[in-house]
Amino acid sequence: MTPAEKPAPASSPDRRFPRGVYAHGTEPDARFSLANERTFLAWIRTSLALMAGGLALEAFSVPIDETLRIVAAGALLALGLAAAVQAWLGWMRSERAMREERPLAPPAIGPVLVVGLIAVMIALAVGLATR
Amino acid sequence: MSELFDAGMQPERTLLAWRRTCLAIGVGGAAAARYGGTVVGVPAVVAGLLGLALAGAAYLFAARRYRRAHRHLVDRGVLAHDGLPLALLAGALVALAIAGFVTLPGLAQG
Repeated sequence: MTPAEKPAPASSPDRRFPRGVYAHGTEPDARFSLANERTFLAWIRTSLALMAGGLALEAFSVPIDETLRIVAAGALLALGLAAAVQAWLGWMRSERAMREERPLAPPAIGPVLVVGLIAVMIALAVGLATR
Repeated sequence: MSELFDAGMQPERTLLAWRRTCLAIGVGGAAAARYGGTVVGVPAVVAGLLGLALAGAAYLFAARRYRRAHRHLVDRGVLAHDGLPLALLAGALVALAIAGFVTLPGLAQG
């Protein structure tokens, strides 16, 4: 068992990665940490779905205006990238907040994701209607 | 392994969340390996196979992580998790996004 895998007793220093999380506060309720991990995984799947959608638009040459299509595909890839970053940063932020018994912050990219997705859907609808 | 740590089955639900994430990665990888060759070429097939390998590795890793979590929780009531595998997974998706941006301009057929 490596040091990272060993549960740190309260008396010994906690060396787990990332230090930005585990160097602070005290161990939260294990159920909350597990819920935080599932939220991370949900963001990972969201990111995968967004990126797969973007790549599929181009790979299958969806029959709409080519400029519109590549912009929409690029936007979906960018949103997927943002979701992956949100997965990690959100997990870190929540885990640290729980360790310090502070309130949890909402997902930082929430508004960007909503506005971006609506814009992409409108662009695709316009593209399909005017082809 | 029969004793349940939590009536809400948090460790079990987390294991299932890992499994559906592995499924998503594996399906994406399989699709890229099967169909990417005709659209993009060899790099897409390689990326698809890498995705499949990642899904398999993550599946085994998640099973191990669950067993360890269960054991530590039942024995000591403490979770021994760290964030490294999460960072690696998020990093893999960032790499996929970068690869996507690089291949996107040449992706459309005809």
